[in-house]
Amino acid sequence: MNRVETSRKTHTGRKLTLYQKQNLVGWAFLIPATLLIIWMCFYPMLRALLLSFQSGTGARMSFAGLKNYAYLLKDGIFIQTLKNNFIYLIIQVPIMLVLALALAALLNNPHLRLRGLYRTAIFLPCATSLVSVSLIFRAMFAVGGFVNITLMKLGLIQTDINWINGSGETARALIIIALIWRWTGYNMVFYLSGLQSIDSTLYEAAYIDGANRFQQFRRITVPLLKPTILLTAILSTNGTLQLFDESYNLTRGGPSNLSMTMSHYIYRMSFETVPKFGYAAAMSYVIFILVAILALLQMKVGDKR
Amino acid sequence: MKKLVSLILVLLMAMSLVSVSAVAEDGSHKLTVWCWDPAFNIYAMKEAAKLYKEIDPAFELDVIETPWNDLQTKLTTAGMAGDYSTLPDIFLCQDNAFQKNVLAFPDMFNDLTASGVDFSQFGAAKTAYSVVDGKNYGVPFDNGAVIQCVRTDILEQAGYTVADLTDIDWDRYIAIGEDVLAKTGKPMLSSTAGEPDMIMMMLQSAGASLFDAQGKPAIAGNEALKKAMDVYTTMVKKGILVEVTGWDGYIGTLVNSTVAGTINGCWILASIQTAKDQSGKWAVTNMPKLPGVEGATNYSNNGGSSWAVSSNCKNTALAYDFMSKIWGGSVAFYEDILPSSGALATYLPAGKSTVYSQPQEFFGGDTVFTKITEYAGKIPSNYTGAYYYEARNAVAVAMTTILGGGDVDAALAEAQSTVEFAQGV
Repeated sequence: MNRVETSRKTHTGRKLTLYQKQNLVGWAFLIPATLLIIWMCFYPMLRALLLSFQSGTGARMSFAGLKNYAYLLKDGIFIQTLKNNFIYLIIQVPIMLVLALALAALLNNPHLRLRGLYRTAIFLPCATSLVSVSLIFRAMFAVGGFVNITLMKLGLIQTDINWINGSGETARALIIIALIWRWTGYNMVFYLSGLQSIDSTLYEAAYIDGANRFQQFRRITVPLLKPTILLTAILSTNGTLQLFDESYNLTRGGPSNLSMTMSHYIYRMSFETVPKFGYAAAMSYVIFILVAILALLQMKVGDKR
Repeated sequence: MKKLVSLILVLLMAMSLVSVSAVAEDGSHKLTVWCWDPAFNIYAMKEAAKLYKEIDPAFELDVIETPWNDLQTKLTTAGMAGDYSTLPDIFLCQDNAFQKNVLAFPDMFNDLTASGVDFSQFGAAKTAYSVVDGKNYGVPFDNGAVIQCVRTDILEQAGYTVADLTDIDWDRYIAIGEDVLAKTGKPMLSSTAGEPDMIMMMLQSAGASLFDAQGKPAIAGNEALKKAMDVYTTMVKKGILVEVTGWDGYIGTLVNSTVAGTINGCWILASIQTAKDQSGKWAVTNMPKLPGVEGATNYSNNGGSSWAVSSNCKNTALAYDFMSKIWGGSVAFYEDILPSSGALATYLPAGKSTVYSQPQEFFGGDTVFTKITEYAGKIPSNYTGAYYYEARNAVAVAMTTILGGGDVDAALAEAQSTVEFAQGV
């Protein structure tokens, strides 16, 4: 005993305590990821912010203060794309999340046969290539395409609907349909994993107390899934505001920019037309700020911990 | 662990050796090229290299397939970073994007005016796309001369021949179109909804542009543009022109005999000829001209691209020699690439070649290539301007508005202000 104590005393000058050691190990694990995030994420964000205060075409850039942001307010196309994004957000996200939750509740039933098959089938769309999905959707929703023929055979419409080029409403509806088809399964998986963590005895107790299935869903499932619902809501909001592929591939932003998203417009401004990177960076910051505000709102509303 | 470390070291050394050898090769007779389409541009470039090898046996050419969208993204990225070291020696550039890229990244291009290429031997309208401030920045390549392709069998049912559609104006074309539609039930032509190609072709056929010589938008009150919009809307309303969704839909109307013809850049011949069963039923002629517009002709241009020599080119003497001796000096080269790629040149001396005057079975034995080269020399130049894509997008919006019943003058005024706004950003 005595020997141990002396040996400890002799080393205290040079050796770290256990707490300090663990602390250092922790930092050592954190530093590579932190440095990578700073280098690949925060540094470009800072440069983009600086870029958004510059103006000019191509490589000839000069400092212009808030000119880009002032121009944004006067840019009819930008305001149109902003509106489009919010239409997608307000209509598509709630429909998709409710559907995903309902599907998850159904497919969580352990007595359901072929559960795995249904789950895979519903999840599969989000693992497909967006470009091929867009090509197939374009063909299916074309004039004289599969969807129009089916609707006509069912007697729901009299003449073909020109989904892609007919009007802003149909083009946006098409994008919303494509989004719901693609992302419902993805969100369902979050809910399914959330449901696994709910104790089945809660449902048994509720059943004994005389609660029907719907009451169980409302009073047990939804409150206990709240953190997951919050997560999916933030992810979907984020994804919808940054939407690019559907607008670019499916409707090409048409007709008359009525279905174009902000990200698509940023791409057009950077690479298709005369490069206006300063202006594009300013638009990116508008999206960034919007995402941040909406996420904050959702956390305030949804998270009562 | 030791093994792993030594392996990594060996790999690193191997990599540095590779990069050293690449540097050494820069001094040799090697050029790198970016372009797209293996059956067309890439094929032509490789054939050009074969021919140049006879002049310079040590010559080597490395063609890297780069689709236009990627190429433009790479140019923009390199330009914005101010680092041109990633660029190849020679790259292909869409004619419509040429002015824009030279304006945005003037240091990216080599001035080719004194490079030895004789630019007077190319179609004037074509060369104009790559001329900025009187300096030549591009060597013209493929031909975008507009042709009218018609189905002689469908016209015959309505009692017309190709001659009835040659050298006419749009008023006459619409009259014939109404008759053909009534008698055969087929529209005269199709176009992609939301794409203003047709309008742009009509505009250039009258020598008019969306910009004036100073680069200011000239959309509002542009008489040729108004007339073009009027002709287009009339045709859509009368059912003479059917609008379809997307490129595939457009090609579908041609190969499935939905329409009696089409008007487009001559590169459309390749797509038309995919319908083997329609051989002998097609004929080629010039497009109608805008009635009552000053300077109107039956000739226009749609699409096409030109070669640029990048400022990253270390061996400009070699690149210039290659471009001037083959692309701007060899009829044999253009004869060589025509049969298998259908790559029609804008190099005017090639049009007189016997290969160009071969009758084409598919087009009723007509010498279409001579015809097209002839058309190419008659196209009026127009001013693309750096803001071509902004203007094109704005005109597309105006077109949709006007088709929906909107006021022409108001729609064009809005397009004008959209472009003016983009120029102010």
